[in-house]
Amino acid sequence: MPDRKLEKGGGFWAAQIDELEQRRGFAADMGGPDNIARQHKAGRLTVRERIERITDAGSFREVGTLAGTGDYDEALKLKGVTPSTYVAGTARIDGRPVAIGGEDFTIRGGTSFGAQRRKGGQGGYIEDLAHHYKMPLVNLIDGAGGSVTSAKRRGFVTFPGVDGFERSVELLGEVPVASAVLGTAAGGPAGRAILSHFSVMVDGTSQIFAAGPPVVKRSLGQTISKEELGGPAVAVTKAGSIHNVAETEHDALAQIRRFLSFMPQNVWELPPRLPADDPVDRREEGLLDIVPEQRTRPYDMKKLVELVVDKDLSFEIRPTYGRAIITMLARLGGRPVGIVANNPKIYGGAMDADAARKQIHFMELCDTFHIPLVFLVDVPGFMVGLKAEQDGTLREGMRAVYMAAQLKVPTLTMVIRKCYGMAGMATCNKNDIDLKLAWPSGEWGSLPVEGGVAAAFRREIEAAEDPKAREKELEAELRAYASPFRTAEALAVEEIIDPRETRPILCDYIALAEDRLRIGLGPRAKAGVAP
Amino acid sequence: MATTQVTSEVIGSVWKIEKAEGDAVAEGELIMILESMKMEIPVEAPVAGTLAAIKVKPEESVEEDQVLCLIES
Repeated sequence: MPDRKLEKGGGFWAAQIDELEQRRGFAADMGGPDNIARQHKAGRLTVRERIERITDAGSFREVGTLAGTGDYDEALKLKGVTPSTYVAGTARIDGRPVAIGGEDFTIRGGTSFGAQRRKGGQGGYIEDLAHHYKMPLVNLIDGAGGSVTSAKRRGFVTFPGVDGFERSVELLGEVPVASAVLGTAAGGPAGRAILSHFSVMVDGTSQIFAAGPPVVKRSLGQTISKEELGGPAVAVTKAGSIHNVAETEHDALAQIRRFLSFMPQNVWELPPRLPADDPVDRREEGLLDIVPEQRTRPYDMKKLVELVVDKDLSFEIRPTYGRAIITMLARLGGRPVGIVANNPKIYGGAMDADAARKQIHFMELCDTFHIPLVFLVDVPGFMVGLKAEQDGTLREGMRAVYMAAQLKVPTLTMVIRKCYGMAGMATCNKNDIDLKLAWPSGEWGSLPVEGGVAAAFRREIEAAEDPKAREKELEAELRAYASPFRTAEALAVEEIIDPRETRPILCDYIALAEDRLRIGLGPRAKAGVAP
Repeated sequence: MATTQVTSEVIGSVWKIEKAEGDAVAEGELIMILESMKMEIPVEAPVAGTLAAIKVKPEESVEEDQVLCLIES
């Protein structure tokens, strides 16, 4: 009826345009007011509110808006649509394009919906988009994965991997992937969160596990709350499954923005440089006496890092896990760098299994996205003792050595105090200029004198009249050779510096490394079998 | 009155105890020093209060998360 359509002012397609508007309305309504109120009452935002919060105003362009299950009357006239349980699209974050998506918990708890083509989560359209257009992917995770009710709807059960993680895995070598766990994640969505370069969960309102309390009860007879099973105390601090904790959803989204601010759009680009407000030649007097005179006293390595890097721009990854290592994205002269610093407050900085895992992940992250690494070294070696051996410290530690030996990214090694043994080897990059700078407080070797003397001179010490005194004598004798200046004479460290020169020197080398970074752009080849 | 358990962050041994039961402690004040990996690990009061009990003795081995002392505040 052309006339009627003309009257409505919408041209020949007015009815269809109306229907489009109506269908978009159904999508915007999500799971309806009651379910939205329930989501808010639980202290959570809806997926659409989350997208609005994290992206630049007005930049979200939805894709798959109309996907859902239509409800029609006998005359096949549309009554309503239950939208699909995933909202996806492209947007800008700080002006840079991203692909973004998340489960809609207000519809069937965000369980997967079973259309012709998935929108996101495990592969799906949004992940294809990130892959083909080479842009970061942001996952806003709030769902429990498959539901047994899907089988009834479908008429058969699917084989694992029909909606697989192939694309999710592929993305890890191509574009930054950041995930926020914003509710209770189990099954597929939980797995999706792990396949990320950076993940964050909210304290109090989010939990993550392979399977939740009902399955645990059924399988093992254990009664446990979801917070005990998969709250941040377990998932972040103990297991390291998720990287960071956020106080609120707002904080979690801000952390993702922060993470992405250090990342290039993809592995074919340099990481973004910001104007350097903090002078690159800033000599920090506070560095002069930060290392205590007594070598048995710990000091605040985090403070040391903050005195060196560009002010107020650093972002610590995994602050509560594997605390013997500090891993931080930061900037030097406006250029992104990855800081790996040993923490003498935890086991004197000795590398335990968790610290090794943390260092490995961070080295791989920086190597993949061409972010130069700066090691601030104070490591007495691998952690020792029965628990450390049971935890697999030796294997995890050697995996760190293996990974360091494959680094391609420019790497600077700054020895603050101790650098011993195999853990010390994991702080250098022999594929680069292998620049080892040291403070005058630096000391190194295959193992610290103390333990080494007792082992190497056991008979001599036992035979002495006063074994303790003989041990001390031998230690003093050997320590005389441990002066860093003697190593510098042999050019076995390239330079010993005044601690106050740390920032100017690091900034200079990081600027020099830029051309080298540029010729090394592209994906990293995988080599060999990691131990 | 709240009781705060002060626990060991590390496996190691007690080197020196700087306070006695009944002493008042300020937040951040040194209570004892542990030794682990040839390093001195200071144990500081997480809250201000009174040292209600010290649960370890010098030279005693301690495990991670072991309770070292109690502070009442």
